[in-house]
Amino acid sequence: MNDLAPLRTIGRSDRRIDAAEKVAGRAVYTVDIGLPDMLHAKVLRSPHGHARIRSIDASAARAMPGVHAVLTRDETAAIRMPVYGYFIKDQPIVATDKVRYEGDIVAAVAAEDEGTANRALAAIRVDYEPLPVVSDLERASDPDAPELFEEAPVGIVPKYGEGASGELRPRRNVCYRFSYETGPADAFADCDHVFEDVFRFSRMHHFHLEPFVSVADWSREDRIELWTSCQNPFGLRKEIARIFGLGENQVAVRVPYIGGGFGSKNGCKTEPVALALSRLAGRPVRFCLTLEEGFLTNTQHAAILKLKTGVMADGTLIARESEILLDSGAYSDGSPLVAEKAGYRIPGPYRYKRIKTDCYCVMTNTAPAGPFRGFGGTQTSWASESQIDMIAHRLGIDPCEMRRRNLIDLGEPFVPGESGIDSDLHEGLDLVVRELGYRDRNQPENEGPVRRGMGLSIGFKDGGGVNKPALARVKVSTGGDIFLQCGTAEIGQGAHTALAAVVAERLGADRSRVRYMPVDTDHSPFDQGTNASSAISVMGQAVDRAALAARRQILEFAADALDCPAEELELTDWEIRRGNEAHPLAPMIMGRFGGTGWEFVGEGFHKAENSHAAPLEAPCVFWEIGWGGAQVAVDTETGQVTVEKLFVTGDAGRAIHPLVCRGQDEGAALMGLSQALFERMIYDGSRLVNGDALTYRVPLADDLPEDFRSVTQEQGHGPGPFGAKGMGEGGMLPVASAIANAIHDAVGVRITELPLTPERVLAALAEKDGR
Amino acid sequence: MPERLGPRFDLAFTLNGTPVGMATTTATTLADLLRERRDGRGTKLACERAVCGACTVLIDDVPRASCSVFAFEVADSDVRTVEGLGTGGEPSAVQAAFADNSAFQCGFCTAGMILLTEALLARDPDPDDAMIRDWISSNICRCTGYALILEAVREAARRKREAGE
Repeated sequence: MNDLAPLRTIGRSDRRIDAAEKVAGRAVYTVDIGLPDMLHAKVLRSPHGHARIRSIDASAARAMPGVHAVLTRDETAAIRMPVYGYFIKDQPIVATDKVRYEGDIVAAVAAEDEGTANRALAAIRVDYEPLPVVSDLERASDPDAPELFEEAPVGIVPKYGEGASGELRPRRNVCYRFSYETGPADAFADCDHVFEDVFRFSRMHHFHLEPFVSVADWSREDRIELWTSCQNPFGLRKEIARIFGLGENQVAVRVPYIGGGFGSKNGCKTEPVALALSRLAGRPVRFCLTLEEGFLTNTQHAAILKLKTGVMADGTLIARESEILLDSGAYSDGSPLVAEKAGYRIPGPYRYKRIKTDCYCVMTNTAPAGPFRGFGGTQTSWASESQIDMIAHRLGIDPCEMRRRNLIDLGEPFVPGESGIDSDLHEGLDLVVRELGYRDRNQPENEGPVRRGMGLSIGFKDGGGVNKPALARVKVSTGGDIFLQCGTAEIGQGAHTALAAVVAERLGADRSRVRYMPVDTDHSPFDQGTNASSAISVMGQAVDRAALAARRQILEFAADALDCPAEELELTDWEIRRGNEAHPLAPMIMGRFGGTGWEFVGEGFHKAENSHAAPLEAPCVFWEIGWGGAQVAVDTETGQVTVEKLFVTGDAGRAIHPLVCRGQDEGAALMGLSQALFERMIYDGSRLVNGDALTYRVPLADDLPEDFRSVTQEQGHGPGPFGAKGMGEGGMLPVASAIANAIHDAVGVRITELPLTPERVLAALAEKDGR
Repeated sequence: MPERLGPRFDLAFTLNGTPVGMATTTATTLADLLRERRDGRGTKLACERAVCGACTVLIDDVPRASCSVFAFEVADSDVRTVEGLGTGGEPSAVQAAFADNSAFQCGFCTAGMILLTEALLARDPDPDDAMIRDWISSNICRCTGYALILEAVREAARRKREAGE
């Protein structure tokens, strides 16, 4: 599928821009930052899932040698607005009236070293009044359920477009509801069949290897300097300024390389504690969580998804109503945004006459859930693509044909007011069918205790975020050295490489001439954040425009100097070509601007136009599709599922760097595979029982299916530079449902709850056999 | 910063081919000792429980999780870290293969993966796929899905054999 001829830089898998530093161990991450006189922070965490705090006595801690600051609710009371969150400001810097999950931060200490800080924390006496906990999603809104928030925290409902709505606190222990509705309410009346099914989705931790970490310097009253492992430095700057009552120009947020995030490193995490301690101590403070504390800081959303789908006898989809419960944990974090997306994505890539969806953020006494690769789309693809298969079997239609009959066409809007789907969905499905050998499945050798089967799935999400502005700047020096300034963080996804490639291509330069400047809110142009697979599709457009603007200036300058129309000129390797003539630019520039020379500066901006006709107020930037197929062997005696083949394919539109694209799809697919088979956070009430590296199992190389492949399609319809689209989440979306569908194909049982463990498979087989 | 617990003593070992001596304490881990040196931060700490392997270093050519090795254990040993790979500013064959194959994303596991590969290829210059998988399975990469890493290891083995290393 990679049959497009590479350009000078685009489409070539040259070494990534960060390769030399990363293989040499020289790449600098926030964990590597140290400042003179830096202190080290540690926090005291709640041992209770839910409790009222009667009293805190930190006097012994304050008196300990080596302790320079202690932060409790007594200190945060002086902070202007000591709570944070996205839509809802409900998470305190340290607990005030109550603790709401095991691991909730109660107090913090800054000391000469972490050991001293931990000893000081152990000397803090907290008197708790334990309260009953909420841990069951379905019972959280019962009239007798204990309430996490008796009073409403400050929150907002953003403006929505046609058919969409949101509501704060619609019922007990629900912090947010997102709803969407389109089409006639009586559409079910015309359906030949209506099927109702319930799906359960388990919860993972991001397990990014670089911990949550920040280094905060607020030793000068009027100035904050912050180094942090954070994907949205401008959003964080705004939040920090709001919390502490500072101007945004008093807060500098710097983001070195980020050692993985997968969604978790958005918004406030370690920063408010580190900053508050730094102010108290008058010294810089490093606050680095352990990996175990990471489990207590942010997670994926467990979910229950109830789908009611109406179809005609020939498999034509007519209507789908859904109710989705997302386990948001104890604080809202990004949950309302995830609810928007889960609620919006539940129809999948199919045409309906009627869609109605209600998605609820349910608060429980567990760790706060937030953004996670897939952002609601993983949950909805699991449920939707399982149900499509189930309906196909009930109607006696091949699941592949069922999909084909209903797929939205290339260019057809997802729903009224939306942008058109920018991938040919059939093309991707054909590819999976071919690569998997789907047509030849279920051969007669399918006898004995081990049965084989195949399943398909089409993961689906809107990509590029909602209403995201991005600004980029490209500067070119007298000698043709290129500075790329933009706020996209390098979190592993290869964005710095891809964006630099776009600039190099436009300026006719080797990519080695492009330097990606450090991400620093004092100097980088504004960006909403590194999220939603948006780097190439949103920032990429801004960068492309910035590069083209710089190029235009250079050509116009040269046209003026050479006294000819700019259209006659070409820019290559920092020379101006006019027919057979070559004019080096440096002497020309110094001739005009003097010996120090000059910098050409191009700026580029991108934001999807707002439109009230679009349900989320701006049409989707691009559609991120992950087609997948699996072949499994199911041992009917043990319930063990072996994934023998896993094939995933995304559409990069145009692969700026093919190996980076491949790595995105394969990394995402393996995360999907582990979620499907084994990886999950296990809660016993409010207690996480496997929150550490040894007992929480992430996939290893040994877990790769024997046949594991990906193909990067380049269909060419993307909105980004050279037709590119975003990558990085799509590959995860289809995997769990493809495997569940393959299990059904193999042994005729349907598992509707993740992970697809041997116990669940055996139980389903026993039920089927009437055992 | 970890605390300096335990009695102080003078430690001598070989770090990346150079004899080094320093005062430390009995409770200091090797990873902390290495990272506190300005030039030792290529060794990364993630789980700190000897599970993920991000902090892998070679101690007398054996890959070990330096988060879970006390500094005193390496007295008189030969310790190699990512900073010691390559010659004259040029990356080693393994480093080059990881760079060329995009066998990394965030880069946090990369030093450990590369050192693991160096140790594997020192023992077996032509490992089969099962052996490579087996070795790479001792460390965690959360980003790549491993396939590109496995390819980089094969590529490094091939290049080293062709170069007669």
